[in-house]
Amino acid sequence: MSKLKLSGVAKSYGATVALSRGDLELEAGEVHVLIGSNGSGKSTLCKIVAGSVKPDSGEVLLDGNPVTVTGPQAAKALGIGIFYQELSLAGHRTVEENICLPDLPMRGPFIDRKALSQRAARYIALFDGVTGQGFSADATVDSLRADQRQLVEIMKALATEAPILIFDEPTSALDRSQVERFFEILRRLKENGRAMVFISHRMDEIFAIGDRVTVIRDGATVGTSRISEAKPAEVIHLMVGEQEDLVERQAPASAAQPSAGDAALTGKHLTGPGFADVSFQVAKGEILGFGGLHGQGQSAVLRAIFGASTVDSGEVLLGGERFTPKNPRQAITHGIAYVSGDRGRDGIIQGRPILENLTPVHFLRERLFLARPSALRAKAQPAMGSLRTKFGGFALPIGSLSGGNQQKVVIARWLIDRPDVLLLDDPTKGIDLSAKADLFSLIRELAAQGLGIVLYSSEDAELLVNADRILVFNGGRITRELTGTDRTRYNLYEAAYEAAA
Amino acid sequence: MTVDTASPAHRSGSIKRFFERFPFLPALIILIVLLVLNGIYQPRSVSMIGITSLVKTYLALMLLAVAQTYVVYAGDIDLSVGAILSLVNVVVITLMQQWGGGALPIFGAMAAGLAVGLACGVVNGIVVAAFRLQAIVATFATSIFFTGLALYVMPVAGTPAPTAFWRTYGGSLFQVPFVFYVVAVLAALLFALTRTRLVTHLLSVGDDAPAAFQTGLPVTAIRIKGYALCGLFSALAAFCVTGDTASGDPLVGGKMTLFSVAAAVLGGSALSGGFGTVVGSVVGALIIGLINSLVYFIGTPSEWQNLVQGLAILLALMIGVLVGRMARR
Repeated sequence: MSKLKLSGVAKSYGATVALSRGDLELEAGEVHVLIGSNGSGKSTLCKIVAGSVKPDSGEVLLDGNPVTVTGPQAAKALGIGIFYQELSLAGHRTVEENICLPDLPMRGPFIDRKALSQRAARYIALFDGVTGQGFSADATVDSLRADQRQLVEIMKALATEAPILIFDEPTSALDRSQVERFFEILRRLKENGRAMVFISHRMDEIFAIGDRVTVIRDGATVGTSRISEAKPAEVIHLMVGEQEDLVERQAPASAAQPSAGDAALTGKHLTGPGFADVSFQVAKGEILGFGGLHGQGQSAVLRAIFGASTVDSGEVLLGGERFTPKNPRQAITHGIAYVSGDRGRDGIIQGRPILENLTPVHFLRERLFLARPSALRAKAQPAMGSLRTKFGGFALPIGSLSGGNQQKVVIARWLIDRPDVLLLDDPTKGIDLSAKADLFSLIRELAAQGLGIVLYSSEDAELLVNADRILVFNGGRITRELTGTDRTRYNLYEAAYEAAA
Repeated sequence: MTVDTASPAHRSGSIKRFFERFPFLPALIILIVLLVLNGIYQPRSVSMIGITSLVKTYLALMLLAVAQTYVVYAGDIDLSVGAILSLVNVVVITLMQQWGGGALPIFGAMAAGLAVGLACGVVNGIVVAAFRLQAIVATFATSIFFTGLALYVMPVAGTPAPTAFWRTYGGSLFQVPFVFYVVAVLAALLFALTRTRLVTHLLSVGDDAPAAFQTGLPVTAIRIKGYALCGLFSALAAFCVTGDTASGDPLVGGKMTLFSVAAAVLGGSALSGGFGTVVGSVVGALIIGLINSLVYFIGTPSEWQNLVQGLAILLALMIGVLVGRMARR
């Protein structure tokens, strides 16, 4: 009998299906690896088990008995502990307080500080020697480095002493010695009969620690196999599915084939927070894809070029001329456009009319101070028209539009005064299919007009279909370039999942 | 860990940690400077009598600042503390008047006052945490509601408190002013509360509410408890106002609300939550009190008093924030 069994678990957010059919059988005394590409539903599945996401349907069996995990508290009571990918730490609290936070030791009405320190010390001691400088039981979590915070989250999960432990990407910021120590601990827990789920994007880690592997693709479990009988290539095949050998290109390649030397944007050895030694060139009329797993530096590079974050070294050439990005205003006046997938934060001006959302870039580039609404409408009309956007009127608030149409407004904002370079940072996040199709046909049109376009997408299919070339990012560096018929899902996944050095 | 203690990196790290543990240090320095200034302009103000009267007058604000701090811990705010104070004030006075001025009726009225404060706090907590309304607007609305109740209980200010009540508050016990006993009990109470689970939970919720939820903490219940605690301390503040003014006034607390927020910030608490100390808020309340008396002592013409007072509070805030920022760097 399985320790934990999920069958047909599903979760949707509005029109977006996060998980359509999640199946998983977890045995006591095993490390069960979950693997799947970006947005395939791994984290959603973990959060359903941990109670922080409520499933729409499906069944969860614990020791053979059906259970409903109503919330994180219920999960705790059922004996489920979890390491959250985005961490669940209180920044101003100390390391030891965070480790014991789910279950503070009490003595009468007060917290038993001594027992708390002792309990925390047990779990800190597990990582003795690899925690690095500045790590101590009474340091606040905010004062720690990313890898040290991740260790605290691991300790916190371990301190629950739960029979079922879920680790959602616990090693992404850890160094070799820390990962090895963590694996030693996992092996010991395995011998003690704990059931563990482990998610990682590093193929070597999966084969080093896993007993079985379950592959999730597009929100559905596609299969489980023993690690000892699997090969990395087979696992990637499972993740990719049947379409792997197709060169995915329904649409014709950009009409104007880029001619070398006609560079719109060049990056030379760019290094900054989150990326290192990134060199690339995008020609006028070309769509260059940035691929790879989430958060490998793609967004960081795009934001740095747009002046929204810093570049430490390297140089950016804009149409052959040197350009030092200082801030977004300066980037905009130099003809750089940037569209973020995080509309709420970077895109729309919430609560303001559509017209005001369309025109801020126009105001900046034309140095307008006052403008008549009718003149602005005349400028905005063609930009919106090219996006086939349905909307009731320019005076309506932006919130009256659907997510896809809001994003179209954000893109139209850049089209009133045509930029030279368009940076797309996962632009279709949370957008419905037809709006996506409109967006990409427009992007190809813009490329045909001679814009240099850089496209980062967390959906691999979008890249394979739309990009002329794909640079695969891994650990903040470009690890492979895929051109022509090399642009296959298989190659993309293989490059993305290569062990980060 | 063996780190060279003489290395500058470590030294600055330890200063940083020191300020993290005692974020009210800048405020304490400002407080001492203000005490010295008060002493220079009015030597009698730093005498026993002067300090006693300062504490007597500002104990209510100290308690109200403490009340505010517990909700600020969780990243919330309570703009109704002043209204709760007024309501408790008029309820206590009315009950004492109806039941007579003996010891038992006085304690009975105070118990009723605490119950009223607690109830108001729970109402705020439910509105903000369970119904998820914006704290700043929701508690503004409840403050109007509570003020309305206070005006219903006592439409006109002026009903006097029983003599025994204000005589005790303003008097002495074994040659030590009564308010100092109150301060001692308050200190013990605050120290005890600091060690409870609720305070750690409130701070964790303020740090990152989704993370606290994922950790398995009952976030909604914790926030409601924070407001309940705030209501209780507002009631305690009301007792001090009642003792100090010796009468009932349905509008007495209104102006104190934002001073309680200012005191918490002066004391180093972050309005975004997760960071702060109640001791800092008490110091912050005293700073406001000393600024008010200093403005008077240096002989500011009455029409300029508000302006000078506002500038002084602004200056104190700036110094506190800048010193704290430099120390943490």
